[in-house]
Amino acid sequence: MTYKGWLLPPGLRDFHEGRIWLKEHSPFSKEDIEKSINLQYFYIIEGIQKEPHLRCNRCHNKNPQHFTTFDCSKCQQQCIYCRHCLNMGRVSSCTQLLIWTGPRAIRARKHSLRWAGQFTVLQQQAANEILESVKAGRSHLLHAVCGAGKTELLFPTVHYALEQGMRVCIATPRTDVVLELYPRFQKVFPQTMIHALYGGSPKREGYAQLVLATTHQLYRFERAFDVMIVDEADAFPYTFDETLQSAVQQAKTEDAPLLLVTATPSLKLLTQFQNESYSFIPKRFHDYPLPVPRFHSLWSYEKSLKRGKIPRKLKQWTEERLARKEPFLLFFPKVELMKIATPLFQLLDGGIVAVHAGDPERKGKVLKLRDEEVPGLLTTTILERGITIKNVQVAVIGAESTIFNSSALIQIAGRVGRNADFAGGDVVFFHHGITTEMDNARTKILYYNKKGFST
Amino acid sequence: MNKIETLCLLCSQPLQTAISWKIILTKQFQPTICDRCSARFEYSSTATALYQYNDAMKDYLHQYKFLQDVALAKVFRQELHARLTHEKATIIPIPMHPLKQRERTFSHMEELLKATNIPFIQLLEKTTTETQSSKNREQRIQTAPLFRLIEGVHVEHKEYLLFDDIKTTGTTLRHATEVLLNAGAKNVKSFTLING
Repeated sequence: MTYKGWLLPPGLRDFHEGRIWLKEHSPFSKEDIEKSINLQYFYIIEGIQKEPHLRCNRCHNKNPQHFTTFDCSKCQQQCIYCRHCLNMGRVSSCTQLLIWTGPRAIRARKHSLRWAGQFTVLQQQAANEILESVKAGRSHLLHAVCGAGKTELLFPTVHYALEQGMRVCIATPRTDVVLELYPRFQKVFPQTMIHALYGGSPKREGYAQLVLATTHQLYRFERAFDVMIVDEADAFPYTFDETLQSAVQQAKTEDAPLLLVTATPSLKLLTQFQNESYSFIPKRFHDYPLPVPRFHSLWSYEKSLKRGKIPRKLKQWTEERLARKEPFLLFFPKVELMKIATPLFQLLDGGIVAVHAGDPERKGKVLKLRDEEVPGLLTTTILERGITIKNVQVAVIGAESTIFNSSALIQIAGRVGRNADFAGGDVVFFHHGITTEMDNARTKILYYNKKGFST
Repeated sequence: MNKIETLCLLCSQPLQTAISWKIILTKQFQPTICDRCSARFEYSSTATALYQYNDAMKDYLHQYKFLQDVALAKVFRQELHARLTHEKATIIPIPMHPLKQRERTFSHMEELLKATNIPFIQLLEKTTTETQSSKNREQRIQTAPLFRLIEGVHVEHKEYLLFDDIKTTGTTLRHATEVLLNAGAKNVKSFTLING
């Protein structure tokens, strides 16, 4: 005799647990979804909340500008939809969002940590402090300079949480960072099911106890994580977009500790955490000081580039890097200016290429620089964080532009000298007038060096 | 649908609308996309279409039809208005199958015309739920009738203008034209937003 009832497919449970998902977009069959709803395995909420004011129940957007009303053929009424999270599948008044309340997925308790590295004294201290905070269920701010080995610091804490059967999320505003972290965590936690989620990421099977995701992807989670780690917590657009911050709060369980990791915390974060759970590492893992940026005037660089000429000082700097065969990054404030400048630099060396946010080959180009296939890259601020290239030299063109605030400049300077064998390197801010942001960046770097080497 | 956009509908950059006498005194529509986005679209050289298919159009159609962003119906209203406002023939948008329309939650052709404030009527019914884009050229040309006349309507001695989003092989428009002409329409022209 065969069993005629319905059994919950484990894949459905594994996928939907912790997620808030459009009913029409579920990857499982309509029949299975209906059965689960009948068994009250799902809690259903409407897509757009009208009272007390308009709100998208997925992305928490409240800005009326992002809502549009139209005559809906499905519900034969006036429907409102949210344009803020449109790319993840449209949420409108008549769509239903599913939240899993059924049986919980089975969480593995066996997780091995395969990492043989050694912590410095400062790293060890910070790692212990984070672990203590997570054990106590307390939120924590980890402030460590670029190249201090922040990712490694997280390993013991993540390992502890996984072994406790907790679900852990490491979120970051940048896709590049997710792509870089994913293989590293896979290597260190070989027994753990890890999912990397970002816009356009491939579908993955099973229940991941460790999730690496862009902060945007957290719109799709609800009360899912027992430990929430936000890496690069100061990067655009996380600090800029309030809905992302509320997504982080929504994706974690109510009393889950929030662990913020950054090299350039805002004053607000510092005042919030400094007195209680705050770790600070002013020194790089290889015990060499941070390279201090030089200021170099480059008057009317924009005019000169538009006239088809690379300013003399910039040309000299580039030629010197080419002659010494040092890889270099040139940061531009605007894509337009970079596009004008690219052919000019290619006259110096045909191999020089440019990358910007919309570039589909952006990953490949960075790899080429790392493998020394191209001598240098022209870039916008997208490469300001998350990349490590041996012996790289950096110049910022137009460091006075508003897009280069002090944290961006600190991050850019932090690309240099990350390798123990090449701990020095040149950071030049070419400018058309010095701004306070530039001064702040330099002062902070000097302060970190002083702090780190005071004894 | 009549709200004023402050952000570009395509790239979300703030829209800088300079108020001019032209906008105040003529019945111009408020712009909905920024200059940079509108420069990506390419005008068609043919008289029966407004634009030429290109990457910008591909993105637009994806967001409008696949992601169901109804707000994008407003993007071309100024241009469409200019082209269709003096049209003497009765405008018929190519209909969707009712099931399809429920699935998409709106009829993309009707929404385009509603956004332009151009009057139109619907005399045709779609008979299949198949899409043209899923077929190759041969299959499209040999396909069974796609439309029929709505029962009880009279089209004798009248002139019509069929309106569709994109023309690739022209099969859709040919089918619709035949249905109308066989029912006694005097003249049937066609016009598309995009030339494929």
